Amino acid sequence: MVDVTALRRQTGVQLCLDCGKCSALCPLAGFDGFSAAGVVTIRDDGARLARLAVPVQRCLTCGYCELRCPQGVHFTDFVMGLRAGLSDDLAAPCPHGQVLQTAARLEIDAAGSRDLSWLDDDLAVAEKGEIALFVGCLPLFDALFESTLGVRTLDIARAAIRALNGLGIEPVLVAEERCCGHDLLWSGDRDGFVAHAEANAASFRERGVERILTTCAECCRTWRLDYPDAVPEYRPKVEHIVEFLDERLGTGDLHFGTEPEEAVVTYQDPCRLGRQLGVVEAPRHLLDSLPGVDLVEMSRCGWEAACCGTAGFLHCDADSRRLQAERLGEAGATGAETLLTACPKCLVHFACAQAEDRRRGRSSPPIEVQDFTVFTAARLAAATSPEARERTETLT
Amino acid sequence: MTDRSVAASVLSPEPGALPIRPIAPAPCTVACPAGVNVKAYVSLIAERRLTEALAVIRRRCPLPSVCGRVCHAPCEAACVRTDHDAPLAIRALKRFVADAAPVVAPRPAPDRDQRVAVIGSGPAGITAAYDLRLLGYHVTVFEAEDDSGGMLRHGIASYRLPPDVLDAELEVLWQTGIELRTGHRIASYDQLEGLLREGYDAVLLAVGAQRGRRVGIPGEDTLAGVEDALAFLRRVNDGDRTPVNGRVLVIGGGSTAIEAARTAVRLGASSVEVLYRRSKREMPAGIEEVKGAAAEGIEFRFLLSPVRAVGQHGRVAGIECLEVRLGKPDANGRPRPVPIPGTEHVVPADLVLAAVGQEVDLDMIPDSLATGMIADDRLRADHKSLMTRMWGVFGAGDAVTGPATVIEAIAAGHRAAESIRGYLERGFPHRPTPGPAALVERELPDPPPARSPRIEPGTAPLRAGAEFAEVEQPYDVDAALAEAARCLRCGPCEECVVCAPGCDRRHLLISDARAPWVLRVPSGFATGLPGLPAGTLPLRVELHERRCRGCGLCVDVCPFDAFSLDDPERADSRVLLDETRCRGCGLCVPVCPTAALEVTGMSREWWQRRLDEIFAEHESVGQVTLTCTGCAGPDDRADVIRFRCVGQVDAGMLLELWRRGAGTVAVGGCGDTGCRFGPGAVLAGEQVAIARTMLRMFGADAERITVDPGARAPVLTGRGEGG
Repeated sequence: MVDVTALRRQTGVQLCLDCGKCSALCPLAGFDGFSAAGVVTIRDDGARLARLAVPVQRCLTCGYCELRCPQGVHFTDFVMGLRAGLSDDLAAPCPHGQVLQTAARLEIDAAGSRDLSWLDDDLAVAEKGEIALFVGCLPLFDALFESTLGVRTLDIARAAIRALNGLGIEPVLVAEERCCGHDLLWSGDRDGFVAHAEANAASFRERGVERILTTCAECCRTWRLDYPDAVPEYRPKVEHIVEFLDERLGTGDLHFGTEPEEAVVTYQDPCRLGRQLGVVEAPRHLLDSLPGVDLVEMSRCGWEAACCGTAGFLHCDADSRRLQAERLGEAGATGAETLLTACPKCLVHFACAQAEDRRRGRSSPPIEVQDFTVFTAARLAAATSPEARERTETLT
Repeated sequence: MTDRSVAASVLSPEPGALPIRPIAPAPCTVACPAGVNVKAYVSLIAERRLTEALAVIRRRCPLPSVCGRVCHAPCEAACVRTDHDAPLAIRALKRFVADAAPVVAPRPAPDRDQRVAVIGSGPAGITAAYDLRLLGYHVTVFEAEDDSGGMLRHGIASYRLPPDVLDAELEVLWQTGIELRTGHRIASYDQLEGLLREGYDAVLLAVGAQRGRRVGIPGEDTLAGVEDALAFLRRVNDGDRTPVNGRVLVIGGGSTAIEAARTAVRLGASSVEVLYRRSKREMPAGIEEVKGAAAEGIEFRFLLSPVRAVGQHGRVAGIECLEVRLGKPDANGRPRPVPIPGTEHVVPADLVLAAVGQEVDLDMIPDSLATGMIADDRLRADHKSLMTRMWGVFGAGDAVTGPATVIEAIAAGHRAAESIRGYLERGFPHRPTPGPAALVERELPDPPPARSPRIEPGTAPLRAGAEFAEVEQPYDVDAALAEAARCLRCGPCEECVVCAPGCDRRHLLISDARAPWVLRVPSGFATGLPGLPAGTLPLRVELHERRCRGCGLCVDVCPFDAFSLDDPERADSRVLLDETRCRGCGLCVPVCPTAALEVTGMSREWWQRRLDEIFAEHESVGQVTLTCTGCAGPDDRADVIRFRCVGQVDAGMLLELWRRGAGTVAVGGCGDTGCRFGPGAVLAGEQVAIARTMLRMFGADAERITVDPGARAPVLTGRGEGG
């Protein structure tokens, strides 16, 4: 049950002019009859919602439509709200056997401590402190995708910690961490999401954390934009690690190795980081400052970066595949050897598309997809200046 | 509702497995008295799979080289092409493959204790002996003559059935371990009874109808030169090549008459005539034989009835005949010859061969038993159990039916073996109930095939120096393939199981005691077959096309190649599901990343309902077992969830069980080598590994999910069923 009238007001949908600009931009427009403008006509959670259940679920929630909407309609939030009104028989199951979503819920019920044995011996973390690294579901992705795609998502966490260590920071790792709840929220399970938010807020707060860094665009958006409503009493500063590193770049604390490693790269702005959080410049500053690294932009970049085809692990179909192929094509057209992305989901989705091409013997742009943090951290020098350490301690 | 009821399959000994019964066999197969799968072997010949074709024939016909030469081929008469252009030359095809393909001799089953005596080594006796030997019984064949084969050896001319061909054919059968005692006549009742006293557990009288019937005219027995045609053939076949001088007259219209006539030609007769009391149309002999006879100069005189033999100096000079006309039909449906008075005349002859029928030699049956044992001059046997009035003594073949054909004798031999086997297993006669009648509707396909002539096998003309050489020539390979290619393969699968030995999808075929060959069909067929209860769900997978991403993982995992990519080059290609191949095993369900696949009747909704059932009463449940329909164990326990195959289980389901409150989850299955669907158990193991890894990450006890892919589902109630 969802009060669609209230939702329409909250998200500004009632201001829609029916101009159709959203559909003009929408990457799914016209495929299997998808219509953003059509979804906007849903006024209650009755028959029309039921009839439009499929488009409501297919929406990528990439927010492309919001770029040009003259009325500032928050279409993606509207879809998120509508999904809460879909009954069980209308709700489509999540991909990969819903194992990730089930695991997330199980973690709440099981209430155990996470296994931290993935930490390499040289990585320093703290039990309590101000700055924490939110690892999120990186260990779960490893369990699913390392063997099938060769993607090691825990390397992202390791790289982040290594980079932070190099800056003199021992981030807190909260063993009672749970999934941020992004997929639960976006699939309409508001209650499940709130349970996650509350659990996480409690655990982090208990450790004295006031600043949370994350390597995942979606976790970042969720903590920053969606947690405040759910857990208003806990308001840490939440940043994607690219923002943090960009700051440090600004304060001169970042040192890169003096041996330039030549690389031509292009950069995929994750929907949740770029369009939804506005973090577009930070990664570019960083890439500019990496010696030997040449950034060649794709034709659709920054605010207009194209979605990787799937938000979270919510929905996947032939359109996702098509979007991945298009985006990889665009990346390949830049001539870059490496496609960097600041979200592990984008990483996995692109890697999946490439693995499929290999398996089916299709030609595929010969570009390697890599996580931004891993790429950057590898080029950061281990040295830290005493000034840097001092500056860290005064940050709140 | 148990899981089994979700996919009911009434015809099957195993849930979800649907055997094909030959519900509509091809007309040729139905027509064969011995049940040879004609369509199967002709089709195999057309595909040049000759060894397999011969193996199919040999399942029901142990004498293919013989039948390929002498069978009267009711299959050809039933061939659908008969009214269209011409029937397939099936007999010639059988001969071709019998000569061309190597025999793969089957091995008998392990020896059983019981012993069977078969009296008579003709086609009925041989067939019964062979069948029983292959079942493992100890079999002794008693043959009165010095050589075996019965009428095959003595009653069929060697230009039709060369003795060395017969020898080779029989040798294969003897090699299975049948004890053959030639020159051993069972001549008296004492000897017959003696067999039973000696320790034979059953006796089969298959003595045939080998005595030529007398014509019944004066002078027949007193004049020299009037001979029984069968006796004549017998001595010629035995090697007597005494030339025949002068004119030969053969009385009769069947194969024996023709063969006797053609043999007389070969022995140098100056003229040979065949005298038959009806017209050409009623002649029992086959058209080819009659044509062959005419080609060798034999003349036919129809509508003449012999009255008496006339002679001089004790020697026959001719047969006095009356002209007849055809009157009303007799009891057999054939027109009765009605004599025309005043038309007597003598047909001159130097040798008269009488071929007017055969009788059974029942001398061994004493008069005191005659009433029970003999009826209509034939051995009397129960038509269902084939047992005679003597307990443990059975009768089959011409001895019971009167003279018939080779293939009918073979069919009788099969029935006798089956009856005897039933008797030996139970101790009393086995009276089988007949199965349902086969539907035989047979029409030409629409549009009908182009007309093409029947390719006849060649014939070698009679030539001096090799008079008794075989007349009919075998096909060469091209001709055989071309003729076999005319076969329209009427009807659906006939469970000939030729596919079995080479089938690498072993899960398509089960051999079990109840149904020796159960061919599982792709379940898409299930709902189309008659006799299934309404609402039977086909066990197959449903593809939600909308969700398909075209990743092709299902294509890779499906053991039945049911999936294909519609356009692999395109980035947004989707998968196509061939429902006729899909077996509903569900191995594709966990590999599909986009939840586009579900097993009918075992959908996600079904899964949730099962979980609700299990956890409804209790917040925590000790153990939940996930297993498959192939594993033993009780069905009615709520905490056992049966899938078609455990390969349908994915990590998400395992975690969900835990989340709902399962203490432990046991994943059973048929193991790596026993899984009916190939990799099912292995895939389940992989999913368990993923689930366990995730549990370890949460700091939970991963060992609470156990996998036992080798053992069948654990014995849960102590009922002792362990797979």
